Amino acid sequence: MALKSAIRNLRNNPHFLFARLPNLLSFICVVVGVVWLLLLPLNEYSRQTYISENALLPGQVHAYFTGSEQNIFRGYKGELEGLLNDGQARGGQKDEAEVTAAVSDKLQSILQAAGLKIATQKYEYTSAGITHRGENTYAIIHAPRGDATEAIVLVAPWITADDKLNLNGVTLALTLARYFKRWSLWSKDIIFLITPDSKTGTQAWIDAYHDTHPASVQPLPLKSGALQGALVIEYPLDHRFQSLHIVYDGVNGQLPNLDLFNTAVAIAGGQMGIGADLQEMWGHDDSYEHRLQTMFRGMTKQGLGYATGAHSSFMPYHIDAITLQTKGEGWEDEMALGRTIESLCRSLNNLLEHLHQSFFFYLLMQSNRFVSIGTYLPSAMLIAGNFTIMAIALWMRTGYYPESKPSAKHKNEKASTEEKAKTNSIAERHLALPLSLVLGLHLLGLVPLWVFNNIFHQYFTITTYIFVVVDIILPLLLAAILSNGLGLSKPIIPQQYHLIKSFSLLLLGLSLSTLATLNFSLSFMIGLLCTPLSFVARLPGSAPFRLATSSLGLVLLKLVSPPTVLLGICWYMGISVEAVLTQAAFGWDVWGVWTQVVVWCVWWPAWLIGCVLLGSSMF
Amino acid sequence: MAVDRRKIAVFGAAFVLRLLLTCLFPSLPDLLTGRVEVSTPVNSFKRLQEGLFLYTRNVSPYDGGVFHQAPLLLPLFALLPNAKSWPLPTAIFYFLVDLLNAYALLTISASGQSVKSRLHSAVRKHVRWDGVSVAAWFLFNPLTIATCLARSTSVFTTSGILFAVSNAVSGNTINAMLALGFASYLSLYPVLLFIPLVLLCYDRRSEGSSPPNVGSFIVQHAALLLASVAGLLGLSCLITGDFWEFISATYGFHLLVPDLTPNVGLWWYFFIEMFDSFREFFLGVFWLHLASYMGGLTARFRRQPLFVVTALLGVFAIFKPYPSISDASLFFALLPLYRHLFPLMRYTFFAGSAILYSSLLGPAFYHLWIYAGSGNANFFYAITLVWSLGLSILLADTVFAALRDEWEQECPGMVGAEVRQV
Repeated sequence: MALKSAIRNLRNNPHFLFARLPNLLSFICVVVGVVWLLLLPLNEYSRQTYISENALLPGQVHAYFTGSEQNIFRGYKGELEGLLNDGQARGGQKDEAEVTAAVSDKLQSILQAAGLKIATQKYEYTSAGITHRGENTYAIIHAPRGDATEAIVLVAPWITADDKLNLNGVTLALTLARYFKRWSLWSKDIIFLITPDSKTGTQAWIDAYHDTHPASVQPLPLKSGALQGALVIEYPLDHRFQSLHIVYDGVNGQLPNLDLFNTAVAIAGGQMGIGADLQEMWGHDDSYEHRLQTMFRGMTKQGLGYATGAHSSFMPYHIDAITLQTKGEGWEDEMALGRTIESLCRSLNNLLEHLHQSFFFYLLMQSNRFVSIGTYLPSAMLIAGNFTIMAIALWMRTGYYPESKPSAKHKNEKASTEEKAKTNSIAERHLALPLSLVLGLHLLGLVPLWVFNNIFHQYFTITTYIFVVVDIILPLLLAAILSNGLGLSKPIIPQQYHLIKSFSLLLLGLSLSTLATLNFSLSFMIGLLCTPLSFVARLPGSAPFRLATSSLGLVLLKLVSPPTVLLGICWYMGISVEAVLTQAAFGWDVWGVWTQVVVWCVWWPAWLIGCVLLGSSMF
Repeated sequence: MAVDRRKIAVFGAAFVLRLLLTCLFPSLPDLLTGRVEVSTPVNSFKRLQEGLFLYTRNVSPYDGGVFHQAPLLLPLFALLPNAKSWPLPTAIFYFLVDLLNAYALLTISASGQSVKSRLHSAVRKHVRWDGVSVAAWFLFNPLTIATCLARSTSVFTTSGILFAVSNAVSGNTINAMLALGFASYLSLYPVLLFIPLVLLCYDRRSEGSSPPNVGSFIVQHAALLLASVAGLLGLSCLITGDFWEFISATYGFHLLVPDLTPNVGLWWYFFIEMFDSFREFFLGVFWLHLASYMGGLTARFRRQPLFVVTALLGVFAIFKPYPSISDASLFFALLPLYRHLFPLMRYTFFAGSAILYSSLLGPAFYHLWIYAGSGNANFFYAITLVWSLGLSILLADTVFAALRDEWEQECPGMVGAEVRQV
């Protein structure tokens, strides 16, 4: 009974209902969202991986890539090595183009001798004032048992994602090409693609394969059917390796089908006895900490959305792709890697249909443990929901709970019906200014978006610092204009501050919950960084108190602003701002990364409005 | 003159904005034309191009089974230069149609019929926006802009409806019927607006000296509507030759809903899932459901026929077989006329949020379904349900506010009193 009356008391207390409760609910949402994520690595919430597509049959065939093929491998490697050394002796790095031409000729003659159809493709990309050019060489084995409607791609980039020469990988691809050509069991075409690097080559090739390439990229003279899967081979070591590192993150946080990853793990571990690692977690002991760390690494890569290897470019075209990297010093040789790839190709060759659509959203925390979207999505949604709760509460507060009248607290039971009617009626809201301010600031985000993607790379550092300064001045300027008018507009009324915050948070919650379905990690990270915005508002109280508190608040808010976070991360990781922004601009221009749009058109405007609200207490 | 200057500013700005969007992002119109939210089988500009191609080569435009729009659009667009090589003239033509629609809205707003008609006078008459604001609300609505840039042929139906209403409120009953005839000829469903519109015409006529006889007034105007539709059909017959082919390809297509391409409506998914033997029955039920609102709303809101038109347009935007965002934009265009009802509405924020959420999540889920391949049809359908829910809440709230307004007018003592749902 006591509880009931307590609840009834709270219900009749508008200050609690409109001002306290939403803060409490929002806070609970954030806390639950974060705790939820931290619970995921536990056995109760994550699941053992399994193969959903039965047709894959991983490791069910014997791999025959052994014995005499190793001699062929050595022969090819010797030939390529000779050419590379020649080029280096003649002029080292300067004559890189010439080396590529000679090597490319060699590649073509080897592939042609093996009986494959070959073609080349030149491309050129310019981003942030840097030009990237190169030439792809590729060859196709036409399926003896197929009708050229489907194909598998084997990619061997000359330079790996870690900027090492991938001589063994390319040689292995050539050897496999010769070896696969003699088999009669392929029902899908197999395409061997040798790209000059891991960043641009596959992107140019896959764009041209689907005829969506820019003018600076040549079209492909030779094509096959729909691509079913892609494997990237990276073996940059000159000694035997210990384990395979499987890289799977795609551009914009898209992931390949989990079945492909599972197949690779099952074949490497189960059939070949090679251990499989992921997310650079060497020596994963399956403890909670390691699982959490693996998950966080995966989320960081997914959230930033950049390409982590040559395989990433395939993902936007709905082609599942992974990179197999050799790591460590052990007793596995190139033949073991070759057999793994042969077995993987045999599995992909079995596919009759696309892999199942429910297996595209997952967080991996060990090579054999994952969390599916249904389990992890609520955490990002709760974070996004906290903004929506606040927005709805503020909207209701502006309508039903007039700020100027504190009479609600000492509301008299004997109040006349007329007065009651007055409090029940909805206050008129002045929407024009809040709406246009919020929309205008979101559109203003296009300016930094354009600037940071179009200037030359040497200006990135200075622009960032200029932007840090702008970020200090702009909110204060806007706050001053809003509170005093400065002759430009009418001074703003308290209700409108609530409305500005309400609209801003509504848009933020809206964008983040949409984003959570596309890129969970990005939504979660931005949501977490924006959490303070739910709780900042124009402060009440005396002028000196407001000045002091809001200055402190602004400094704290400043710490979670986009440029500050960027600088902080660069400082922590020990990389230059220019390198990060050049990479980001490159991602925008070549890979089609849209993380920047989220940063400048969702996060930055929301942060700016938070600062304006807090800054307005100074005036 | 100050008002005039505002009008010119709004219309000019709307035109320049559209022109800028077309010139700065040349791929935007084609992108929008391909979106299922904007282009349905009955208003797609792409399909019109196909029909036009066949028409200019003297083949029946309905032969390919792609084109399902009224044949009179063909000679009209044949006059414009090819939209593929010269996109600007077609685009500017669409901009002008949009401005015309806004002009019609201006007339409707200026008549003040939404606040004070023959039988009804709103309690909060003073709370209203002027015509320029209403036109601006229409012209700068993102949905309207998207429809306009996508060159969807729904804009012609929209102008038919808006001109029918604007002529009705200004007393040009004959022109109103002709415009309604044009709209019905283009897309069939506006014919359901006949009853409220003829009542609106009647109310306007009766404000004069001698009220005409209701029965004969309605019959006369029905005859006028039929005559105008018959005239347009006759013209179409001259163009296409085969009368029945064109009827079945256009009106048959509207009525029988054979194309279940996804759109923002509720029909496509339902009819995909349905067993074929029940198809006819549910087609009948769905159409009956759509049409039944006309009678109910007209009877209940006899005193505010313009509100019936508004509410019906909202119903159409939700329950039409091939709705697109252009239908929603037409409903949103008429809502600001009822600015005086806004204080009485209770769920605007929730409805607005639902609509905003679905308009962001819709394209995202469509992307997951069609392009990324990591979602399925249920994702997109769920969002179209939310979209319809948002529109329904808004519509129901508007109807509630209008009823409340009528009630307050009847019982002046209860203005502002709290209502409790029992």
